[in-house]
Order: sequence, then C-alpha cells, then structure tokens
Amino acid sequence: YHCGATSQPCQATLTYDTLRFGEFEDFPETSEPVWILGKEFNALTEKEEILSDVTSRLWFTYRKNFQPIGGTGPTSDTGWGCMLRCGQMILGEALVCRHLGRDWRWVRGQKQKEEYISILNAFIDKKDSYYSIHQIAQMGVGEGKSIGQWYGPNTVAQVLKKLAMFDSWSRLVVHVAMDNTVVIEEIKRLCMPWLDFGGACAEPEGAGELNGCLEGACALAEEETALWKPLVLLIPLRLGLSDINEAYIETLKQCFMLPQSLGVIGGKPNSAHYFIGYVGEELIYLDPHTTQPAVEPYEDGQVPDETYHCQHPPCRMHICELDPSIAAGFFCKTEDEFDDWCMRIRRVSLYGRGLPMFELVDSQPSHMVSVDVLNLTPDFSDSDRLERFFDSEDEEFEILSL
Amino acid sequence: MPPLDKSQLQKPFKQRKSFATRKQEVAGIRTKFPNKIPVIIERYQREKYLPPLDKTKFLVPQELTMTQFVTIIRNRMALLPTQAFYLLIDSSGLASMSLTMAQVYKDHKDEDGFLYMTYASQEMFGR
Repeated sequence: YHCGATSQPCQATLTYDTLRFGEFEDFPETSEPVWILGKEFNALTEKEEILSDVTSRLWFTYRKNFQPIGGTGPTSDTGWGCMLRCGQMILGEALVCRHLGRDWRWVRGQKQKEEYISILNAFIDKKDSYYSIHQIAQMGVGEGKSIGQWYGPNTVAQVLKKLAMFDSWSRLVVHVAMDNTVVIEEIKRLCMPWLDFGGACAEPEGAGELNGCLEGACALAEEETALWKPLVLLIPLRLGLSDINEAYIETLKQCFMLPQSLGVIGGKPNSAHYFIGYVGEELIYLDPHTTQPAVEPYEDGQVPDETYHCQHPPCRMHICELDPSIAAGFFCKTEDEFDDWCMRIRRVSLYGRGLPMFELVDSQPSHMVSVDVLNLTPDFSDSDRLERFFDSEDEEFEILSL
Repeated sequence: MPPLDKSQLQKPFKQRKSFATRKQEVAGIRTKFPNKIPVIIERYQREKYLPPLDKTKFLVPQELTMTQFVTIIRNRMALLPTQAFYLLIDSSGLASMSLTMAQVYKDHKDEDGFLYMTYASQEMFGR
C-alpha cells in the first residue's frame, strides 16, 4: 500500500442520519478486523458492540464558559486546547481501566457507579480537579508553555506525570519514556519503590528526572507495600520528519492490538486527535474539536455526563495522514501485565513486519551515567594531526573521543 | 517562538557540496582517522524549539553507542531530560539507542561515506 492515495469520501445518498451526523460516516462494512484499545471486533457482525465500546470512552472536547484559568485567563480552550484534551482522554482511559476495567460500558441515562463519577470529577473544568484543563494549562508553565500555548504529545505527557503525583486516589505511576527507549528496571523501580534496587529509595544520580513516587516511596502505608502501583506508560515518539515513515505503520497498528493499549495521542498537522484503534488502513479516533459548554456538577456530586461520550460513529482517517509526532500509551495494572507487555513488545520487534517504534531494554546502559567522563572537548592531539583539514566553508570536523 | 536563524536559511550539507567533494572529504578523513565515523548532524529545517548546533561534521568513535551520542548532543544543547529530542537517521527512522556508531554506520552510511542524521523535537497541536 502506498501513502498519498486519498480515500474517496463516501458519496452515499443523503439520509436523515448523514444529515444529522454531518461528516460522520457510518462505520464501514468490512471483513477486516477492527481493533479498539486491544479488543478485536468484526465490523459485519458486531457493529453495536463497536459503537458501544467507542461511546464508553471518555470524550473530552473544547469547552467554553468555564472559570477563567488562573483567575484572569481564558474561559474557553477553543483553538489551543486540543492536545490538552487528548491528554485528558488518554489518562481518562487509564483511570477507567484502573477503577472500572477495560470491559466497563457506559449506558446513557443510567445511574452511574461511584468510581465513574469520581473519574469524571477529576476532569471537570474547574481549577481544583486533578486533571482539569486549568491544572494542565498551569502545570505546562513549568514545561515552558504559557497558558493558551499549543502542546505536543510529550508536553502533555510530562504535565500528566506531574499531576498524577497529587492523585492519591488512583496511586498511578505515570512514566514518560524518553529517547524512544523503555527501560524495564527503571519502571519496576518506580512501580515497586519499596523494593531494594541497589540500596536507597532514591533514583540514581543522572536519571535526573522528577519521578512520580520519590517522596511517597519511603513512607507508604503497610497495606500498600507489596502492591504494584498501576503503571501508565507514555512513549513520545517522532516517526518521521514531515511525514510518517511507512516502515512504522505495521508496528503502530500493533500498538492497538495489545491488551494494555491506551491508544495514541497525536494528530494531523496542527490538529490533535486521540487515536483508539484502526480498521484496514484507517485510524479510528475521538476528536476534541467540538466546542461544548462547560458542565456544572449537581449539588450531590453527580455530573450530567452525556456530553462526555461520543455518541456518533467515530471519526476515521488514513494512517498516512498521521503527523509523525505522537505518544503511545499503555496501562499495566499489575506486574504480570507489565511482564506480559514486555514479552509482547519483544515478539513484535522480533517477528513483526514493521520497524520497531521504540526499544525495550532491561537496564539503563551503565555508560549513561558516566557520560560526563567522556571527553566532550575536541581531542587536541587529533586536532593537530588534522592539520588544515578545512573545507571551503571553513567547517571543521569536531572530534569526539572516549 | 524563536526567530529564524542562519542555520535554518542555510541549505543542507548535501546541497552545499557536490558528491565528489563529499566523497573525497570522507576518504581523506578516514585515512587519517580509520577508527572514527564521519557523521553529519543537522537540524530539521522546520524545527522551532531545539537550538542549532555550532558544528555539522563530527568524527565519532565507532564504539560509541547511540545513547552516549544522544547524551552528548543533549548536553551540548543544555536540554532538560524531559525535553523531546529525536535523531532520525537518513531523515527517516529513529536510531536504536543501544546500537554502536559502527553498527548504525554499517547499515545507513550514505554513498558519499558520511552518516547523515537529522534532529528534531515534536510538533505542537492546537487547532
């Protein structure tokens, strides 16, 4: 298959439904498998199940008329908040998996479980909700983003990592794997901070990251030790410069087939989407680009929740339209689930048809820490021998030595 | 957003020099430093967030791993560990961090003998 071929827009006759849903095409009638967040469906026989699964995901969109961010800031995130909303969606999915399970279904108008109400409250557009647009925008200032500035997948991942530390209800470890490398030992240390990995409770020097559980690690309640802290693993990537490198497409699809999948945040150039699965050569996504009025919870804490679920057929786009900057997400509630994830990733990179998107290693390469002993300045003896090895533009080689 | 700087107006290395010149350059330097890999590292033309490097041409020990190399570049730019930084080999694929320079060179060296890498952060989304 070659990128660049555009899928033909559906020219079906206008019916009441296509008018009502506007651009939202019905789900395709195809014998190809549909994968949504690690679950496989048949588009011919399980259409209702597919729509029910998609509708059950939390759908966070632009909102207007919320409390001004920071007291005097914006009251709407239309035109800037789409990546922040995608960050809410991928974390929302993690919280659903954490507190309700992947198979939980939302039923319209039904009295909802307490855990569900708590999850929704964590995202309500108010300054003190754990993961509100207010919290994300304000925490982004520490990442160099002023309020109202656009985020990338890594920006929102870094912010969610910090915000998750304050969510004592979910006790999540949000780990952001940098440099397209996932280090197993690092994750085990984060999720089981009470285990003795070479002595201290603290991170080794040089990791240098502010990790989710540093302060909590040495002061855990008795009953919490022995329990793996549920892991949200976010892997920000760049799968090409201006377009996605086609060698990654099969591996990207594999992400949605893993039972630990939280989907992918990314988008088309400039517009962020939350990708939850694929069918054939199309990605299935939830789109935050609809402005809805902010929701006010009732006195009793219940939340009018209809606008937090996407009730039309999900959007689709060709994989080749994907901007190469993404972050893939995975959720491992237990250590077994994490071990299983590692095993599956290894299998994909050994036998998969695509190029691995990231590398999985057992431990941080030891030289990582000792990098400052590398000679970073030009090697002068070499430089002398280099004599006048200049080019026409006077560009010299810089010589690195071990 | 930082203003455009010189390196963004400058043409890529490959377009500044003929194939013959580049090939000759590699041959010369490889004779003098047979154990070092000649690497061209350039900033993605549309990169807005990462600073330019003052050098384009590097001679890198062949046993250096990609992790070490990326750490050196990250330090040069004074990046925070949480900042996104990606090295794309030949403008296409992400470098596997555990490989050594020699391994990457073997698989990806250009016909002119240089190993080409482009660095970029991530795009931003808002509309």
